[in-house]
Amino acid sequence: MRHETLLVRPRLTPKLTTGCPVLDGHLGGGLPCGLITEITAESGSGKTQLCLQLVLSAQLPSSLGGLSAASLFLHSEFPFPSRRLSQLAQALLSTHRSLFTPPYDPLDYIFVHPLHTADHLLDEMQKIESFLENSRTRLPVKLIIIDSIAALFRSEFDNTPLDLKRRSSMFFKISGRLKSIAKKFDLAVVITNQVVDLVGPSEGANGLRVGNLRSLYTSGRQVCAALGLAWANCVNSRIFLSRDEEFITEANESVHGSDESSIHRMRTRRRLHIVFAPHLPYSSCEFVIVREGIRGIER
Amino acid sequence: MEVGRLPISATQKGKLISAGYTSLSSLSSLSPSLLSRDLSITETEALVIIKHASRGGSPSRSPAINGAQTAWEMLHEEELFTRITTSSADLDNILGGGISCKEVTEIGGIPGIGKTQIGIQLAVNVQIPVDCRGLGGKAIYIDTEGSFMVERVLQIAKACAEEMSANYDFSRNGLPSGQVLMQPQDFLENIICYRVCSYTEQIALVNSLDKIICAHREVKIVIIDSITFHFRQDFDDMALRTRLLSGMALKLMKLAKKFSLAVVLLNQAANKYTEGSLQLSLALGDSWSHACTNRIILYWNGNERYAYIDKSPSLRSRSAPYAVTSSGIRNLVSDSKRMKMM
Repeated sequence: MRHETLLVRPRLTPKLTTGCPVLDGHLGGGLPCGLITEITAESGSGKTQLCLQLVLSAQLPSSLGGLSAASLFLHSEFPFPSRRLSQLAQALLSTHRSLFTPPYDPLDYIFVHPLHTADHLLDEMQKIESFLENSRTRLPVKLIIIDSIAALFRSEFDNTPLDLKRRSSMFFKISGRLKSIAKKFDLAVVITNQVVDLVGPSEGANGLRVGNLRSLYTSGRQVCAALGLAWANCVNSRIFLSRDEEFITEANESVHGSDESSIHRMRTRRRLHIVFAPHLPYSSCEFVIVREGIRGIER
Repeated sequence: MEVGRLPISATQKGKLISAGYTSLSSLSSLSPSLLSRDLSITETEALVIIKHASRGGSPSRSPAINGAQTAWEMLHEEELFTRITTSSADLDNILGGGISCKEVTEIGGIPGIGKTQIGIQLAVNVQIPVDCRGLGGKAIYIDTEGSFMVERVLQIAKACAEEMSANYDFSRNGLPSGQVLMQPQDFLENIICYRVCSYTEQIALVNSLDKIICAHREVKIVIIDSITFHFRQDFDDMALRTRLLSGMALKLMKLAKKFSLAVVLLNQAANKYTEGSLQLSLALGDSWSHACTNRIILYWNGNERYAYIDKSPSLRSRSAPYAVTSSGIRNLVSDSKRMKMM
């Protein structure tokens, strides 16, 4: 048995930068290695954007908060956003010209693999482990992303006690494997999850308060993370991204006519919330999605 | 003359005094055969004298002797010393002073309620030196979920060290005031951590805990965070699972008794199907709920975290609020007066 006093462990768990100092500040430096971090949000909130940004910032050297590492992107939501990825890769190349000299292409260090079912994921897990052990790539793999876990489970299982039991046993199996891989290779695991609407009174199985927020709101609806309580027990920390549409009325200054003309604009306000994490208190932060990726807004 | 107080015959007293044995300490290291030769009495008689002398030598015999304690004081002290504080007075209050040594305590709740935080807090608090009304022990932390983070331990340890120095009566112990009693790093050194990645590893580790603690007698708490995780995957044979779990619980209970240490098992919450409806309860089923001596359930009450004593042989079922702060587990400070529950 590996007996260790804490002195031999590094004081600070290695963290992977999100690529934005403001967000990193709220996350205690980034996403920790050796743990499973879940990102929960409705579609169009920026889950996949954040993941794409992570696979790129993982390639940065540790002086810039990266892991100098390649990453594995397992996706169950189709199609894989390769155009957006190459756009972000170009942005990364242009900001760090000195680091990445021409033959280097960030896309060479992102291994993308589709997932179709939960069983498929379990089958792949074996291959992933042997791939990590025998990897001959120039950069070691230090980040595994699964986008998304919910898509794998939403169709296959019924809402009967037996199926739910089978499903939660599957969750723990997947999580157990991922955690042991994360520990063995000291890599970060990021899993995205969908949300489900809460209908009716917020009691019952799904209305249960999990974590710092009494309830999760996005687009004016009360939601909760998909896959229930069993899955919530499988992840080490959970991050929630919310979005809200907002009308803003701006006086149009370019028109100096007699009639007051104004422009109505829709703006999406996005926030990142820490729902629970062993090392972080609750905090939240507004962010925007721009061409270069996700950027937090300092208040 | 001390020997005069011994409940022995006057002749024996006289023999003792004439042979030069006047104080109890002079009798303490003597062998019966030597004493019987010196006093020319039988060895059995000598043995009785030595027995009386050793009993009389202990300060608890009479409160009149300087530095003595009454049984009442001892009981009181025992109550103070065999419990590990949670750093929340309210929580300690319902627990009768803290987490009890010699017992297995299960703490369960939903994700994000603060199970791991309580675990880390206890691993730090067990090290509070005896001078500061602590146990001055070490902790074994068995991490099955990977949520144990050194940076958080350091944060809690720092707060604990600061509070200790602030409340310590330096003048009483002749130490220069403001001196740091324990560095945060010292706390890290005294937490022995195991990362367990499967249920077989977990069982193997629990089996070898006896040997490990024999080598580290200072260990006063064993925390398993969580007992559940590896037992919720891949168990088709539920009877096997129950057997393994209760076997483990028995071993842990034995350990707690043998080394008079606290065993804290963190458990997850799960939805349980009863008569077609979902109910929230702690994981691992009904038979497991018998396995632990004490069971504490953590839950949300509005915006406040509460702990509830669900099962205990010696404590009343009560609940108390607590807060998870950057310094660790603390009392809940709120404007609204504490709700009287139960």
